[in-house]
Amino acid sequence: MAGNYDFQWSVVLDHWPVLLAGAWIDLWVSIVGFVLACSLGLVFALGRRSGFALISGAAATLTEIARGIPPYVMLLWVHFGLSRFLGLGFTPLQSVVIVLAFTGAGYAAEIFRSGLDSVDSGQFEASRALGMSRFCVYKDVILPQSLRLIVAPLGNVLVGLLKSATLMGVIAVPDMLHLAQGINMNYFAPFEAFTAVLVVFVAMVFTLSLLIVAIERMMEHP
Amino acid sequence: MNYEMDWSAVWAQAPQLAKGLWFTLQISFTAYVCAAVLGLVIALLRLSPIRLLSMAAFAYTQFFRAISIYIYIIWIYFGLTMVTGLELTPFAASVISITLLHSAYLSEVYRSAIQSIPYGQKEASYGLGLGKVRTFLDVVLPQVVVLVVPQLVSQFAMIIKDSAVVALIGASDLMAETVRAANLDYRSFEFYTTAAVIYLLIVIVVSRLGGLLERRLKRSST
Repeated sequence: MAGNYDFQWSVVLDHWPVLLAGAWIDLWVSIVGFVLACSLGLVFALGRRSGFALISGAAATLTEIARGIPPYVMLLWVHFGLSRFLGLGFTPLQSVVIVLAFTGAGYAAEIFRSGLDSVDSGQFEASRALGMSRFCVYKDVILPQSLRLIVAPLGNVLVGLLKSATLMGVIAVPDMLHLAQGINMNYFAPFEAFTAVLVVFVAMVFTLSLLIVAIERMMEHP
Repeated sequence: MNYEMDWSAVWAQAPQLAKGLWFTLQISFTAYVCAAVLGLVIALLRLSPIRLLSMAAFAYTQFFRAISIYIYIIWIYFGLTMVTGLELTPFAASVISITLLHSAYLSEVYRSAIQSIPYGQKEASYGLGLGKVRTFLDVVLPQVVVLVVPQLVSQFAMIIKDSAVVALIGASDLMAETVRAANLDYRSFEFYTTAAVIYLLIVIVVSRLGGLLERRLKRSST
């Protein structure tokens, strides 16, 4: 029972730089995935509004697939299945980024869609009547108004991607959790190593959440 | 693309995959029921006038919603069990992890539903001589159910998605069986595609059910 476990917090303290390096990988991979997810998500969202049944159907299906498959399943599918099927041989990092970009795009697409829908369609018609091109209408009229509404939900997508990113250790990318597992393997300190991961991770998520709130405030009162 | 597909390997493993799926459903459903009950308790604590309780419930929701299921399940299964000397089966560890995580999500669902009921209704029922308990059970709860049930159903889809991670602590769920079979037959593309399709189908069916219920309940309540 409790009390028999020999705490060795020194193991964690000694390997602090290693763990933080791993946390850094989690963070930047999620950010890269997030940027790609936003771009792809915007394409999906605009595709759904395109008015061509084929394109909007494809966009809707891809969105649904991206949201419906567990990230872990998709990671193994991309890394071991798809890469062999295509004969491409993705590196582990590439596989992770692909999965984050695609799953994130599914959520981002829905957010963009509701953001775009929230702008009254009369504005679209009015701008078109004034002679603006479709592209200009989106760029100068619709997107600036939607942007304020989608900041917070998009922030949640980034946090979600950061959570999924922790799975990358499964395909041997040395992220924080993977490194902690290595430390545990060498020193047998599972509680200390994984608690450290937990604490760092919670700190990262809280920091991100505070940042999102700050950005949102800034956009409300420019 | 010279990859030659061979789906017979999947067919040969179908009984094992079905067994895995059954295990996935068992874990998910058990965790779901626990999370639905625990989530309600947390929500009621969060709304309680006693500051200490509501603060504790608030901390609970913030903390558990910030963590990835993978970090969390590893921390419980490999870390916490060592310290406490508890011997958890993979099934128990999976159920506990998913329950704690999703009860935090669900408590927010309950809370926002309960808070959406106008306060005037409570005052009116107190004015009519109904007690606190009667007011909650007869006035607030029926309206909350209409709001909450569709989201409760969608949450089950999320739990199924999250449950794929339990394969990583050795629970023999659908994903674990898929990984085992894929490694055995060198048919990773076929096996991971199969798993992805199964998860996708379950998630789509369950979320459609949620949407259907939402429309039904809205119609019958107005």
